[in-house]
Amino acid sequence: MQPTSSMKEEFLKKWQTGLQIFRPSIDNTNVTERKKAIKLSADVAMASLRKGTTCWSRALIQKTAAEDNFLVRQMLSGIKAETLINKKLPKKTVCHRKIVRRSKKILLRRSRSASEEAAAKAKKLVKRRTQGLRSVVPGGEFMSNDVLLIQETLDYIVSLQTQVNVMRSIVDAAEAGIER
Amino acid sequence: MNGATEAELLLNCTDMSVLERQKAHLKYHHPGFDPTLAGFLSGPSTINGGEIDGFLGTAGLDLPVIYGETTVEGSCQFGSGNFKKRKFDCVECNEVKKMMMMMNREDEEEEKSKITEQNNESSKSITKMKNKAKKEQNNCSNDSSKVTKESQKTDYIHVRARRGQATDSHSIAERARREKISERMKYLQDLVPGCDKITGKAGMLDEIINYVQSLQRQVEFLSMKLAAVNPRLDLDIDDIIAKEVVSAPMTNLPLPTTVMPSYEMVNAGYPYEMVNSGYLHCNPMQQVATSSDQLSCFNNGEAPLMWDSDVQNLYSNLGV
Repeated sequence: MQPTSSMKEEFLKKWQTGLQIFRPSIDNTNVTERKKAIKLSADVAMASLRKGTTCWSRALIQKTAAEDNFLVRQMLSGIKAETLINKKLPKKTVCHRKIVRRSKKILLRRSRSASEEAAAKAKKLVKRRTQGLRSVVPGGEFMSNDVLLIQETLDYIVSLQTQVNVMRSIVDAAEAGIER
Repeated sequence: MNGATEAELLLNCTDMSVLERQKAHLKYHHPGFDPTLAGFLSGPSTINGGEIDGFLGTAGLDLPVIYGETTVEGSCQFGSGNFKKRKFDCVECNEVKKMMMMMNREDEEEEKSKITEQNNESSKSITKMKNKAKKEQNNCSNDSSKVTKESQKTDYIHVRARRGQATDSHSIAERARREKISERMKYLQDLVPGCDKITGKAGMLDEIINYVQSLQRQVEFLSMKLAAVNPRLDLDIDDIIAKEVVSAPMTNLPLPTTVMPSYEMVNAGYPYEMVNSGYLHCNPMQQVATSSDQLSCFNNGEAPLMWDSDVQNLYSNLGV
């Protein structure tokens, strides 16, 4: 599942349209502004590749829309931007704090053997890592089950690799152009 | 003397029992022989025989009944139970689980009593679902490709109920879920560099998190770099690409294979750019020239001619 050339190409097109939208507003501004514009457009381009089929892309679009609504609307003009931006993500699973505490107490009261203890510890470690992954992947907190989370992570990594590959080749090219 | 005693004994023996007579006889022939031992030898044997006979008699009567209960009836129950159970799972679970049930059939036969109990409890619902299940099974069997897929799947599905493991739908679903997760994790292992050496879920997750974060940071860094490199945002991607086409062979000469994807990408990307006429920076003829013989163009110093005055202005702005 390496990033394919067709994916890169599509990303490039989307990114370019995003930059074109930005061009009149952010010409001749400082570096951080430009950087922000480039980053935003690249993110939206990456997310729009999936056309809202994945959870992470929807979350990313919503996040960027909160930052710069105009750009996202312009960039997603091909797709139904409104539906994507306002599309509701799956509900967060909320636990009642009292119930959780009580059940933890009950669990602690139960005497466990050494192997059970080790298994519980390993489980805890994995759970913590999963929580970390949730915070890293956009929209991860909405993915209720682990299978979905890992699947989305797979897709997200492939998209990120595409983005990084394209951006690096362009930066290299730009640098080479300046050196000349 | 011998004869007299024998006669006497025989006379005495008339009102003695057969057993005692035998004992006496033995005692007579082998004077040193212990009568108790003889009694042990002769007495119990007959009793035993009687016992055995009686046992056999009862057993002969009882055994068919027992077998009838255990084997014949049992197998009937088991057969039907299995059948029902599998169908039940066809309806409830997905194909994988069904597969597992198929594989678990042997194991299930050991735990059939449990299943029959379950079936008795849920027999009503099963009979309702039976028709549906039949349809589904027919569909499955009709789909030859599916069947072949399933047969291929058997090679690497290791989720199966061993002896003592639960076979109810919940635990099977849980096992299937874990199997799915580990399968996805395997894909992730292929995708994330350096992850294939790590065993254990926690370590792998750590590595994945690190990789995702590093990719995100790379995006930040690259966008920063791009913003720093381009003083104006209008240094368009298409002329960067054109430059990349020209410059890539120069920078990456020792590794032409790595450059190939970018060629493909760029060449495939051109028609689109040309259709989008607003951002044409090189006309089609020159583009053909670049794509056909990039190195010679560049070496001959024709490259500056290819670019629009816009880009040349940029170069002058940069002081190149």
